[in-house]
Amino acid sequence: MTSTQLFITVALLACAGFFLGKKRAAIMRDSSGSHSSPGIRPHSTPVYYGFWVSLWAVIPALLVFVCEFVLKRFGHVPFSFRAGVAWEAVAVTSGIVCVIIAWLRLRPETRARNHIETGMNFLFMACATIAIFTTLGIVLSVIFESIRFFKVIPVQEFLFGLKWSPQVAIRPDQVGSTGAFGSVPVLAGTFLISFIAMAVAAPLGLMSAIYLSEYAGSRLRAWAKPCLEILAGIPTVVYGFFAALVVAPQVKAAGEILGLQVSSESALAAGLVMGIMIIPLVSSLSDDVISAVPQAMRDGSYALGATKAETIKNVVIPAALPGIVGGLLLAVSRAVGETMIVVMAAGLSANLTMNPLKAVTTVTVQIVTLLTGDQEFDSPKTLAAFALGLLLFILTLLMNIIALKIVRKYREQYE
Amino acid sequence: MNSTRITEKNTSELVRKGLKRRYRAERRFRFMGIAALCISVLFLVILFGSIISKGYSAFFQWKVRLNVFVDPARMDVDNLASADYAGAVKAALRREFPEIRKRREKRLLYRIVSIGASYQLRDMVMRDSSIIGSTVSFWAPLDDDVDIYLKGAYGKGSGRLKPLQVRIIEKFRQEGRIKKVFNTTFFTAGDSRDPELAGIRGAVTGSFYTLLVTLLLSFPIGVAAAVYLEEFARPGRWSDIIEVNINNLAAVPSIIFGLLGLAIFLNLFGLPRSSTLVGGLVLTLMTLPTIIIASRAALKSVPPSIREAALGVGASRMQTVFHHVLPLALPGMLTGTIIGMAQALGETAPLPMIGMVAFVADIPHGMTDPSAVLPVQIYLWADSPERAFVEKTSGAIMVLLAFLMAMNGTAVYLRKKFERKW
Amino acid sequence: MFHTLSRLFCLSVAVTGLLSWSQFSFAAERDYISIVGSSTVYPFATVVAETFGRTTHFKTPKIESTGSGGGLKLFCEGVSLNTPDITNASRRIKKSEFDRCRANGVKEIVEVKIGYDGIVIANSIKAPRMKLTRRDIFLALAKNVPDPSGAERLVPNPYRTWKDVNPSLPAEKIEVLGPPPTSGTRDAFVELAMEGGAKTFPWIKTMKKKNKHHYKEICHTLREDGAYIEAGENDNLIVQKLEANPHRLGIFGFSFLDQNSDMIQGSLVDGVAPEFEAIADGSYPISRPLFFYVKKAHVGKVPGIPEYLREFTAEKTWGPDGYLADRGLIPMPDREREKFRHDALNLVPLEGI
Repeated sequence: MTSTQLFITVALLACAGFFLGKKRAAIMRDSSGSHSSPGIRPHSTPVYYGFWVSLWAVIPALLVFVCEFVLKRFGHVPFSFRAGVAWEAVAVTSGIVCVIIAWLRLRPETRARNHIETGMNFLFMACATIAIFTTLGIVLSVIFESIRFFKVIPVQEFLFGLKWSPQVAIRPDQVGSTGAFGSVPVLAGTFLISFIAMAVAAPLGLMSAIYLSEYAGSRLRAWAKPCLEILAGIPTVVYGFFAALVVAPQVKAAGEILGLQVSSESALAAGLVMGIMIIPLVSSLSDDVISAVPQAMRDGSYALGATKAETIKNVVIPAALPGIVGGLLLAVSRAVGETMIVVMAAGLSANLTMNPLKAVTTVTVQIVTLLTGDQEFDSPKTLAAFALGLLLFILTLLMNIIALKIVRKYREQYE
Repeated sequence: MNSTRITEKNTSELVRKGLKRRYRAERRFRFMGIAALCISVLFLVILFGSIISKGYSAFFQWKVRLNVFVDPARMDVDNLASADYAGAVKAALRREFPEIRKRREKRLLYRIVSIGASYQLRDMVMRDSSIIGSTVSFWAPLDDDVDIYLKGAYGKGSGRLKPLQVRIIEKFRQEGRIKKVFNTTFFTAGDSRDPELAGIRGAVTGSFYTLLVTLLLSFPIGVAAAVYLEEFARPGRWSDIIEVNINNLAAVPSIIFGLLGLAIFLNLFGLPRSSTLVGGLVLTLMTLPTIIIASRAALKSVPPSIREAALGVGASRMQTVFHHVLPLALPGMLTGTIIGMAQALGETAPLPMIGMVAFVADIPHGMTDPSAVLPVQIYLWADSPERAFVEKTSGAIMVLLAFLMAMNGTAVYLRKKFERKW
Repeated sequence: MFHTLSRLFCLSVAVTGLLSWSQFSFAAERDYISIVGSSTVYPFATVVAETFGRTTHFKTPKIESTGSGGGLKLFCEGVSLNTPDITNASRRIKKSEFDRCRANGVKEIVEVKIGYDGIVIANSIKAPRMKLTRRDIFLALAKNVPDPSGAERLVPNPYRTWKDVNPSLPAEKIEVLGPPPTSGTRDAFVELAMEGGAKTFPWIKTMKKKNKHHYKEICHTLREDGAYIEAGENDNLIVQKLEANPHRLGIFGFSFLDQNSDMIQGSLVDGVAPEFEAIADGSYPISRPLFFYVKKAHVGKVPGIPEYLREFTAEKTWGPDGYLADRGLIPMPDREREKFRHDALNLVPLEGI
């Protein structure tokens, strides 16, 4: 019996349980009303009894499944259970037995609805806690490998080392260059590209948001907003293709006209395209906070004789500033974690430079190359990817927490 | 604010003097706003323009009319599937150009027609074996280099084609034996290493299964989580932690979810690599925060009076939620879900970590089959050495964008249609 | 409400039922071959896989490009069906990897060499063709080079232009785009080109016996001052960068040169142009063998492995006129092909390294 068949069997069992339970409850209800048999009226409507019975088909199967998984994964299977056969038989028989018992024990006093609702409540809570488990899972999946990495490479060297060159001998018989795992150049590259992206996205996004929320008529808004949303909806792999094949050659050509030496995978090209990608994020976040500024503040400013631009510059923006800063911080966090654009358009060489015309590398690029290229099993190279992942996670986490705090605090101010 | 001290007497004078400058500043500011908006839209136009101009030719294909003698000597009647069809096609070409004798030149000649011609011939013979022994005439795809030469990708030059091949093609052209047709292969075939035979159906099917998994998991879970947080959770530390977590997860870089998928689904649970099931699971975790946040907003917008009324007539809290609140919040939740699905459809970064960047030629038939998805197909093609894949890449991007636009359009439409002011 | 709920319930049962049908093979055996490994072998293996899928009733194998090391890692994880059946490699399996395989129960591995790949040093056709020797390459790209004054010691690489290296070369700045250390191409390049060039200095050559580690360090360490540019593994982009910048050189596999012969040309190395015939007969000095490894334990459990091997080792595939040769694979000599075909078809396992 495959697990699929087991699945279907249990589903059918649950179905049968549902109809049996519903039927029995319906009979109880009908008979309670008649004069001939003055029974008690069931506590809940028949469907709840149906659900209640069918629940008993699922619970044992679920328990058996969990047991099986845990034992198979983390321990030895006891006795001589032949894998696959006995477990499923146990699940199905226990399901059948439970359904029959539940059906037989169905009484009008059974508080089926309350049981179901409690169950639902737990289910809902479990769904909500998935978020916590995901975070936990992320931390656990990177932390063990990172610890192993930090056993080989000291933490302070990783955090403050000025040289990133994971060219250590990846096999005992290979001689690489001087292997160095200082993350500073990688981080510097990441922030250089993010900075360029923000230099594009912040003014454009902010000004678009201001124009759209303060000046534009409803018809322009109706057109421009979806346009920006399209920009936000374009997959990053498309931006990557665009950056590598269209923007990078143009940037290079432009640089050559000006007599500048531009690297083909310059930080500028990747940053520019990333900036375009982030414009809608900045504009929609700023739009939110700008619209949240109470109209009364604007009216007050107009009453003093200020022009619209003066009102925006001197009243609206200062009032919305914390929110805008929070939004920008979220955008930076997005830029730092962006992968496909830089994988396709940025370089691999970890130059510690602030020159946007040179090639730099980013954290995400390094993770992808380290994990998908040739690798030794437990070499610091592979492990370095997880350490970088941890670093990236912590970095973005901090930015997000700060940004969300600012935004939330700001929102409360005017509510 | 300007803190210039102004005496009452010349206030209006001063204001009038400054007025011109201030109006200019006003216009300048306004202009900057328009300019920013225009530049953003311009980027959109350039992006679309460059992709469409590169990719529209992927929807067309040049074909050549071949007259192939289905030589009974080459056909093994018992094993028709693996008979020498390529040989038959080559023989047909040789017969047309008897003057080509040298081995090297013959190879150049063979390279004009795609290997797809022999597959086509095989299908014809398999369908109707009575054509063995006769000469059949059919339109066969040309090799990818010839195809893009005819489409003008090389400009005036001949690219990788040798002068001899150009002569042959021009002869075909004069005889009217080549024509440009709609490229149906692009929509009906799976991936292939021959650009002229490659299609996106495998990737589209893979994307469909992946999204199905994502939808089936993330919608119920997301809605349940939102209902819990909005309607049942008591405010306190626990729900605060959950809330902070969800908001953070929404902004965690997607590549991190790839690391998570590698560790949990592949290494711990032992699910099959490269399968749409694992892809869907990873994307579920990624889109959940989006859906939860949107669903909570939708639930928030349902006025409390509705809940109070239901509770007032004796409904339980669960009944209130299911009968009254959820139906009203559903359109908002659906909109959020569609936007989340659109995100998932375009996501690439976590997939290389779970082995989804693979060559899969067959169309997947289930969730445990290995499969590519559309963005991965784009990434793979962008990486391929054959020049003809550039147009295929752009073509695939156009298809992907069309799907995304349709999804987002639906979301906008739903939002408009069910928007309700209380 | 009851109607909504029960309808929802029925719907969900129906959907899960449908879903289960669509993926009925969950716990069943895998019915396609799973292949991982080198990105250099990937273009060849995919073509074979596709032909195999089209001409037999088996499913087309799934091929992932994970790099040689990554592939061998997955391959050696064990013999459960969750692990790949075949891994491609652009170098021979290492002893450490072989031992790891054994330790994990992968006892019998069949080694199949499929042919050779030339590594070319190319530039844009807009620039004149370079005529290099391996000695030039070594002097231009090594981090430390022998003192130009002739003394037997190493100095940090002082050369800025090709003319500094060899007066017969143009006075262009040395800029070479090449693969990162994660790539098998890089391994082969330093082993064949750099080491070959270093050996032309007798005192370095003698060092090989005395101090092997130091010798390798001299030969295999590439410059880090900007003359050697790590350009990632996307060879398409390298081609475009060369086209945009004619004085640069790029290092990549022969198949890429073959595909882009309208834009780039291969430099002569030791007087030999990187052409098909020259690589095949070994006169072009920088070429390396390509392999794949088969897990014998999976033969019979996963359908189609012997048939895949037959397709791969057929003359029409890897022979001098085969379709892999059209893609740029350099075929092995007849005798070698015969040997590996025999090994593959009879599944002769590797005894040891």
